[in-house]
Amino acid sequence: MQAVLSSDYSFAQFRFLERLLLVHGRWSYLRMCKFLRYFFYKNFTFTFVHFWYAFFCGFSAQTVYDEWFITLYNLVYTALPVLGMSLFDQDVNDTWSFQHPNLYVPGQLNQYFSKTAFFKCALHSVYSSVVLFFIPYAAMYDTVRDDGRDIADYQSFALLAQTCLVITVCIQLCLDMSYWTAVNQFFVWGSLAMYFVVTFSMYSNGTHINFPASFPFIGTARNSLNQPNVWLTILLTSILCVLPVVAYRFLLIQLRPTINDKVGTLTNHTGFCS
Amino acid sequence: MKEELETANRPDNTAFTQQRLPAWQPMLSAGIVIPGFVLIGLAFIGIGVALFIASQNITVLEKDYTGVEITSDCYKCSNPSDKNCTCKLDFSLSNLFEGPVFFYYGLSNYFQSQRSYGVSKDDYQLSGDLDYFKTPISACSPYQYDANQNPIVPCGSLANSMFNDTFKLYQIVNGTKKLVPFDGKGIAWWTDYNIKYRNPSVTPLKNAFNGTVKPPFWSKPAYELDTSDPSNNGFVNQDFLVWMRRAALPDFRKLYRRITEGDYASGLPAGNYSLEIGYNYPVLSFGGRKKVVFSNVSWMGGKNQFLGIAYLVVGSLCVVMSTVMLIVYAKFKFPEDD
Repeated sequence: MQAVLSSDYSFAQFRFLERLLLVHGRWSYLRMCKFLRYFFYKNFTFTFVHFWYAFFCGFSAQTVYDEWFITLYNLVYTALPVLGMSLFDQDVNDTWSFQHPNLYVPGQLNQYFSKTAFFKCALHSVYSSVVLFFIPYAAMYDTVRDDGRDIADYQSFALLAQTCLVITVCIQLCLDMSYWTAVNQFFVWGSLAMYFVVTFSMYSNGTHINFPASFPFIGTARNSLNQPNVWLTILLTSILCVLPVVAYRFLLIQLRPTINDKVGTLTNHTGFCS
Repeated sequence: MKEELETANRPDNTAFTQQRLPAWQPMLSAGIVIPGFVLIGLAFIGIGVALFIASQNITVLEKDYTGVEITSDCYKCSNPSDKNCTCKLDFSLSNLFEGPVFFYYGLSNYFQSQRSYGVSKDDYQLSGDLDYFKTPISACSPYQYDANQNPIVPCGSLANSMFNDTFKLYQIVNGTKKLVPFDGKGIAWWTDYNIKYRNPSVTPLKNAFNGTVKPPFWSKPAYELDTSDPSNNGFVNQDFLVWMRRAALPDFRKLYRRITEGDYASGLPAGNYSLEIGYNYPVLSFGGRKKVVFSNVSWMGGKNQFLGIAYLVVGSLCVVMSTVMLIVYAKFKFPEDD
């Protein structure tokens, strides 16, 4: 009893060891590595954009995003989706894990999260931050709304940059997740919807009238998100951030398929898992 | 008895606890990725063409009037000690400049995006709260109190640096100057004018400003910004609102007026024009430049070639990538037996 209480895992019969290692141990390693890679990616991207903006704000540490967005980004907009991925993700289901024990090898070789993987993640973040800053910058340079009024102001630019970021990291998460349960769907689309709901309510008339200094972004969402060129910029930015990843992964599956890819294809050929 | 004890500790056998939830497992298969890339590529090329054509149809006329070259008429005004200098900018249009024409002033190398400059304003004052007329917030310093400890209203460097050049446009018709009418209504955002900035509810407005002084750079106090129109006076003055909406980038343009009335409702006809500038705003000390911009707009806003070209480039790259992926898939398709 004491051994059970002081151990990480305990099981009653030796035959359970196979399941513990090949199913739960493997899934745990996979989830942990995916979680870490994605978490570093979304936060590095979020931060590197400020590095690029420094050149355009006199190096005065002006944030690209609204302060409320910075507070709520890790708390509300991206917390639940990544939690869902790290709780429910499976690359192959438990039956196939038993049938193909060599799926366990990547964990032994530390392939999913090593210095190389971290470096690739950082490189991916740098690329994403370049796209996430310079596409909105070039699209908003010296342009105006369709009724001639201002759209290249700080608040509209901040809103554009943060919307691009949230949508891009959401699509990146969708690419990383390989097991979409109903809970995951709810978390991902719910967080994205939450972003728009919170943004519109923070930038509404009522919040400004009651707290003028805390909510100075009033009217920004309404005035810039009804412009076609803003939405076209958001579309271009997200697609440009995400498609190279899709192409790279597809080519990797074709040219250097791993055991997971082969087993995954077998699984899919016999129908979707349920 | 023993069986009950055993089953009491057994974990639940539900789909949730045993991780058997029904799920969708998408895979990056060739049947999805390659057609997907082709579709996205073609869609982007289509959007790029539409954007590029829309941008090409917008006319823009930009004229720098800082007065750096000795040949420009505004060179005489670039001496900062010369107050109330006026200079002229002559230009001619060879074709009709289609309306409605928007008239902007532009500044370069001007960092409205600098952090301490941008936070230097008092939102409570600007929403008409009279308590903050007596004690402006400390973020406004050094434009919080003047040398005699009188509160400055509106406080802060953002308001103090308000652009104060004035422009009058004349068309030269048969040797005489004909004034082109400007429309200054509604150049700022509706939400700025109606909700964000409010005058204190004191009539006459002048009384609300008792005991306060104007910002040092301003020539007139806030309650005299437009004495002819009370709905354009004080904090809701359209030019003030346009200036307070600070720009994100160091090169920016701000709407000054629209040309939509009278003979110029359909645009500026071809001919000679003369712009008279009341040159008050000094930018040469920090290497800034001033310019005027005439532009018309379309559904995508002002002239911006970048978006159209970017869509075309990305669309073409997608189509190229899909061909590459198709070739790789056809040649290197991995055998499906393990």
